[in-house]
Amino acid sequence: MDQQPAAAEVVRPWDRAIVMYPVFALIAVIGGTFGSFTLGAYVLVLAVGGTLFSLGLTGRAGRRPAPGVLPKAALWWLVPTLVFAITELYSFARHSTVDHPTVSLLADPFLDHYLARAAVYFGWLLAYWGLVRR
Amino acid sequence: MSASRIITLSLFALAALGFAALGLLSRREGTRLPSLGDISAFVMDYRVGRVPVGRIALLGFWWWVGFHFFAR
Repeated sequence: MDQQPAAAEVVRPWDRAIVMYPVFALIAVIGGTFGSFTLGAYVLVLAVGGTLFSLGLTGRAGRRPAPGVLPKAALWWLVPTLVFAITELYSFARHSTVDHPTVSLLADPFLDHYLARAAVYFGWLLAYWGLVRR
Repeated sequence: MSASRIITLSLFALAALGFAALGLLSRREGTRLPSLGDISAFVMDYRVGRVPVGRIALLGFWWWVGFHFFAR
């Protein structure tokens, strides 16, 4: 299922920041113009997300080696994760109202602005790229 | 603004500050705290047989995040 990934140091012509970051910026600039529930938004997210998912799964992009064991200090990451997850799940269970907002409800007015939407889109792509290369 | 909204917003802010603080601490020289990237890589390395379950889960989750915020 998962072919042998390229090592992180094996850099393909397109597999470098100077190529990928402008591509992501262009996608974000275009993606920011599409509102929610529009055909363009669906197509772009499915196409870009699918491409990155495929790259991450097949290992065509270089990968940095994963740590074999995590130190106990890694458990500190559980603290903000649980605070976030419990708050989000509780708000979701309360049907995401003004009094109990989920992150989606809080983000919607912010993402209505083009620049904010494009910037968050860019951040989503960068983080996705970071996962693909792990 | 209701008390429950203030509490909810405070908890989200607290979680965000926690992520930011741990992210900064994990970049210090000689720290034993792994970065979020290291933890992601560790999770993505998890397999069941030949199936890269951790990789599918994290990449799929991030794809869904994009779909949720930008398309739905």
